[in-house]
Amino acid sequence: MLLEANDVTMAFGGFLAVSGASLGVAEGEIVGLIGPNGAGKSTLFNCLAGDLKPTSGRVVFDGVDVTRANPETHAKIGIGRTFQVPATFTDLTVLENVMVGAFARHPNATGAREAAWRVLELTGLAGQAERRAGNLGTPGRKRLEIARARATAPRLVLLDEALAGLNPAEVQQAIELVRAIHRTGVTLVIVEHIMEVILTLAERVVVFNQGRVIAQGPPNDVVNDPAVIDAYLGHSHARRSQQGTIA
Amino acid sequence: MRQSRTIGWAALAIALLGFPLIFSGAYYEQLAALVILSAISASAWNLIGGYAGQVSVGHAVFFGAGAYMPLLFYKLWAVSPLLGFPAGVAVSLTVAVVIGVPTFRLSGHYFSMATIAVAELIRILVGNWDFLGASIGLMGPPTARGWWDLVFRSSVPYYYIFLSVLAVLLAFTRWMERGRFGYYLRAIRTNERAARSLGVPVSRYKLLALMVSAGFTSLAGSLYAAKFGFIDPNSGLAILVSVNMVIMAALGGAGRLLGPLLGAAILVPLQTTMNSIFGGGGTGLTYVFYGGIILLIARFEPGGLIQMTERILTRLRAHAARSKAQAGGVNAA
Repeated sequence: MLLEANDVTMAFGGFLAVSGASLGVAEGEIVGLIGPNGAGKSTLFNCLAGDLKPTSGRVVFDGVDVTRANPETHAKIGIGRTFQVPATFTDLTVLENVMVGAFARHPNATGAREAAWRVLELTGLAGQAERRAGNLGTPGRKRLEIARARATAPRLVLLDEALAGLNPAEVQQAIELVRAIHRTGVTLVIVEHIMEVILTLAERVVVFNQGRVIAQGPPNDVVNDPAVIDAYLGHSHARRSQQGTIA
Repeated sequence: MRQSRTIGWAALAIALLGFPLIFSGAYYEQLAALVILSAISASAWNLIGGYAGQVSVGHAVFFGAGAYMPLLFYKLWAVSPLLGFPAGVAVSLTVAVVIGVPTFRLSGHYFSMATIAVAELIRILVGNWDFLGASIGLMGPPTARGWWDLVFRSSVPYYYIFLSVLAVLLAFTRWMERGRFGYYLRAIRTNERAARSLGVPVSRYKLLALMVSAGFTSLAGSLYAAKFGFIDPNSGLAILVSVNMVIMAALGGAGRLLGPLLGAAILVPLQTTMNSIFGGGGTGLTYVFYGGIILLIARFEPGGLIQMTERILTRLRAHAARSKAQAGGVNAA
């Protein structure tokens, strides 16, 4: 396993946002992390990215315990992440944004610039390299998030709702982008609450509800799991669907 | 483009080097020396306040440390004030670490307020400490025993000393701007959380920037003490000393290489003129004047004059291109 979360619990006061979640991600996989709003996906995500220190449990990346490591250490050892609301460096150009990521592996500016250009070509942002990043629209900023994370040369990238807020055409392009990143040998964990998107991308899906993992497996099995239908659509719906009253 | 930039730098260098030769006379020489000295401290502030976006309003502490140490060395051992320069830098670096580690946990306005509090605390402390001359302050050597006492009758030698220190500082800033250090500071300024997620060791870089900034601010203080041969809590540690650095950098353009120099070149002559018009009663008015400038910059031009000029130039160029295209269209029709 490249990334393993064991029995992770995150409590805010008396509220357990994540309670005893375990999760394994193998090298080369695309894993979808789904669940209804407020299920604790983002909290678990932030525990994996080092933004939150879990109350208990362990997170291990490639044999190294990273449970208490800070976000910059995560980036250094090969875990990249994107933000749900793009955290663009608005004053910098698109190229400079990506260079900040590339500096993690290339201490001098020339090397970082070359690496950043390669990522810009890969992510289709090369045409906008000299634009001020603050002038990009939402799709551009989401793309830049991914490009910047890719520039740190990660082995694993955690994508936090990389597709939310995009229209259907943009979603298609974003899916292509995610696939392109995956083809370069990067393992991906994608958090989404839109089911359709995750089903086309992920090889394996982990479903979250009320802070717990309630199901995991191939997308098609998971969507038919009564517990999952229950979590998304409520009790009565799950019962009816089992009785076959719903198509 | 590259060529015109080289010409621009050469013109600036010649103008600065030749200034005292063209505008001779004690008034202009003194004014020019003051502009450059203010540009040094404002450019030093710019490293942490402009590039890294951590608006310190307590830089008087570093300026004061730099100003007090040379004169303290002279008072205690009657040695050249020059020997106090490195001591000032050492004290400033220590203070930077001591202040930086706890205050960098605060962000935005809270950080600024904490720096004010620390600076005021130290001002009051020094003002009551006889070892440092309390509220009377310290004096330097009255007459030169050699060049190393840095006592010159004319302002011109000071002007060139200040100018060379400014050149070193700006060269360092330029080097920093182009490399990882500069990129990381600008990333920290815009979004710390994103910077950390990309592997930027935020705390370390902020502290490093504060230390370099403190070191150069301390040098500016030492040079001030050498030129005026006198320092007291009011001239070395008052909040106005810090505010001066902030305003000059912000007026010209915070986070821009030449912003502080431009700000100093505008504000220092204005200040001198105001002082001579209003006389001794002008000190209070200076605050009013500064308040006005802060308001105007914050409301209309947060990027400073350099950014404003760039924007106007881009608009003019676009306008020129459009009218050219229109003229072409008319011809074609």
